[in-house]
Amino acid sequence: MAQLFTPGADALYRLALMTGVACLVGVPVLAAGIVRSNYVTGVGVAPAQPLPFSHKHHSGELGIQCRYCHTTVDREATAGIPPTHTCMTCHSQIWTGSEMLKPVRDSYAQDKPLEWKRLNKLPQYVYYNHSVHVTKGIGCSTCHGDVTSMQMTYRANAFEMQFCLDCHRAPEKYVRTPDQVWNMTWKPPADQATLGPKLVAQYHIRGGERLTECGICHR
Amino acid sequence: MSGALIRPDATLPGIGGAVAEIPLTHPGNRRWWIAFAGAAALLGLFALTLGYLLYAGPGIWANNNAVVWALDIASYDWWIGVASGSLLVSAILLLLGAEWRGAVNRIAETLALLATAAAGLYPIIHLGRPWFFFWNLPYPNTYNLWPQFRSPLLWDAIDIVSFLVICVSLWFIGLLPDLATLRDRAHVEALRQFDVKAPTRKLARLRAQVYGILASGWRGSAAHWQIWVQAYRTVALLGVLLVVSVQTGASVMLAGSLMPGWHSTLLPVSFLVNAVYSGVGVTAVIVMLIRLVYGLDALVTDRHLDVLGRLLLCLGCASAYCYAAEYFDTFLNGDAEGRGVLVRRMTGDHALVSWTAILCLGLPAQILWSARARTAPLAIATVGLLVAIGAYADHVMVLVVTLTQDFLPSSRLPYTTDIWGIATFAGSIGLFLTLLLLFLRYLPAVSIVESRRLALTVSPAAQEAARMAASRATGRPEENPVTAPLWGVSATFASQGDLAAALQAVSGISPDQVHLDGHGPVPMPRTLRPLGLEGRSILPYALAGALLGGFGFFAMCVYATAYDYVFLIGGRPRLSWPSFVVPSVSFAMMAGCVAIHLALLVLNRLPRLNHPAFNIPGFLRASEDRFFLSAEARGDRFDAARIERRLASLPAEAGRPLEIRRIPR
Repeated sequence: MAQLFTPGADALYRLALMTGVACLVGVPVLAAGIVRSNYVTGVGVAPAQPLPFSHKHHSGELGIQCRYCHTTVDREATAGIPPTHTCMTCHSQIWTGSEMLKPVRDSYAQDKPLEWKRLNKLPQYVYYNHSVHVTKGIGCSTCHGDVTSMQMTYRANAFEMQFCLDCHRAPEKYVRTPDQVWNMTWKPPADQATLGPKLVAQYHIRGGERLTECGICHR
Repeated sequence: MSGALIRPDATLPGIGGAVAEIPLTHPGNRRWWIAFAGAAALLGLFALTLGYLLYAGPGIWANNNAVVWALDIASYDWWIGVASGSLLVSAILLLLGAEWRGAVNRIAETLALLATAAAGLYPIIHLGRPWFFFWNLPYPNTYNLWPQFRSPLLWDAIDIVSFLVICVSLWFIGLLPDLATLRDRAHVEALRQFDVKAPTRKLARLRAQVYGILASGWRGSAAHWQIWVQAYRTVALLGVLLVVSVQTGASVMLAGSLMPGWHSTLLPVSFLVNAVYSGVGVTAVIVMLIRLVYGLDALVTDRHLDVLGRLLLCLGCASAYCYAAEYFDTFLNGDAEGRGVLVRRMTGDHALVSWTAILCLGLPAQILWSARARTAPLAIATVGLLVAIGAYADHVMVLVVTLTQDFLPSSRLPYTTDIWGIATFAGSIGLFLTLLLLFLRYLPAVSIVESRRLALTVSPAAQEAARMAASRATGRPEENPVTAPLWGVSATFASQGDLAAALQAVSGISPDQVHLDGHGPVPMPRTLRPLGLEGRSILPYALAGALLGGFGFFAMCVYATAYDYVFLIGGRPRLSWPSFVVPSVSFAMMAGCVAIHLALLVLNRLPRLNHPAFNIPGFLRASEDRFFLSAEARGDRFDAARIERRLASLPAEAGRPLEIRRIPR
């Protein structure tokens, strides 16, 4: 009796089956990988700005303190983007003829703000307050990375919910003494395990159940 | 009970022909196309509704802040109820070994599958943002969150996925040998067309190949059948457990709220009873329709109608008891809120719905006390239809009446159905009917295997006559020298008894030299002893799969809820183990089912589309009425002539083959 299928059909059929099973596993893994990739999250990508401002130069090499420009970081919800006036405090005196700084001078002359491209964005439904974090021992670099080493500024962390929750579930691992908050190269000290809980008590941080309530961030 | 389950003159090829004719030649083509056009129009309505729903959101259903669940959840509950009922009917008939089930169980299994498909869409489309449906499942997400395993909404997600897997599995396992029958008959037709050089011969071969791929290389070998019978029964058992888990889970979901009227201890039982009742009702309607349209009176006999009628009657009485007990209990010692709900059901805004439920579920079945009504297809179909309507009204009543008025006067809002809510449900019926019509057109509507087993047990006389006719028609085994490399020796028989006797005669040869197997159109328990396959069981695989899956899921719930993601909600303890049991049981059933499926394929060395056994002349009749012995050569010491001599020397009434052949590789 004639065979309905050639011997090669078996190999094809099994290949198709195995491909199907592999896709069942592979496609979600691939999708999850794409979602987490820097291409989607923008981590490490420095977009073009109105002018090539360097945090490394100003803050790292010249040692200008964070709060010199981001003046409301320890008092308000937003850290604040400096107005052109802040730039001009120095640049009305130095590099006044620089071609690179022309947009700053134009902005000042025309009374029109520079339109910086925003890097660290949170969704609308997330409530975030800089001041409470900064005054309770969470340093800038914990979220923004070592900005003082960035020639062009880029996003250091994908602000996905798991990033926030890591800290909200165990604040004692990240909390610093007040003098270390502005330290851009801070690493947890050797005694963080004993120091952390002490600081948490001192700052009156109610970790765990309180900080992971939905309404803490989604108000 | 009167009447026969199958005609005394039914033969194996006759049954296969009657059923396989429907998918292969499409009788009643015009009627089918008219029905299909109607169903497709409803399906189009579904697409339209879903499009508008995605655009505008679930507000189009007129659900409001008080009645957050209305027709969407009622439709879901109804569909899953129909699926549960159909699955339970098929599974219980299978487990009880009711030999007449062939006419009913294929349709019941199909209904279960299609109703689950219709139901499965509802939990997705009733979400505000349906494209995020996967948030309900535990997957490694960037939120660092687990789904809430204490929530019945998660149970729903796990239940529906498990239910779909079990339905597909039960349906497909049952269908597998029938697909092989279809493949072989389509192949015969393709060969015939090839001989006459008919213009559609390529199409015919393609059709045979499609059925062949679906049949995964099923050869009807004794080893296949042994595992098949076990796999079918075990999946059915898992299905029964899952139905109980799903339906009681649904009632616990309601009881988990504070709303009045959802706390009767009888609620899980009444959910289960009404679900099975509606499932049997819909099954009865569809069975009657198919019997009428395709004229399958020979396979769906009066006796089947009688059994369906009795089943409906029993369930009708049980349903009436549940209703009566709820009213009696609540009015006798329920609280004021509970009594209020019952009064509002009967006299409130939705009294029409409630009375429809009570009257349609309680009364129509009572006419089935009459034996004449039980054998009248019209009566059975009418009762089935009314039961289905009553069950839908019951779901609407239970949900809406309670939700319109809870304990807070400020949160009471009246509810009336919107046209889009009805359109969504009508559309889901369209989906169901379209798939059902496609099934009827391309797949066997009645189980060929089960009908054949019934024919073998009920009318052995007809089978014996066929066997004698076959014996007379053949002469001595022929000598046909094969020059190609030898695969083995085959022998053809007219009955399982002959095959078993022949296998016994050659079973003494060492397995180093030869691998013996039997092939036939029905399970062949008598060949298992000579083949040395007795005691082979699929149960350890099923048990291991189910236990591993169940305990694995439970452990995941415990880890997530008590350690990794401690989230105190509603004062529930970290280790809320009772709420983890429900999804774990459902998941265990699914894991067991997957394990069975894998075992079925691996133990049988399937899928195998091309196999030397298909080289046996006339092997296409292995899925019809012939039984084949195959002795496959193993090693150099294989002695074909010795086997042929042994087979030829058997007495004519106990095992002499109709034909002995040498088969090339």
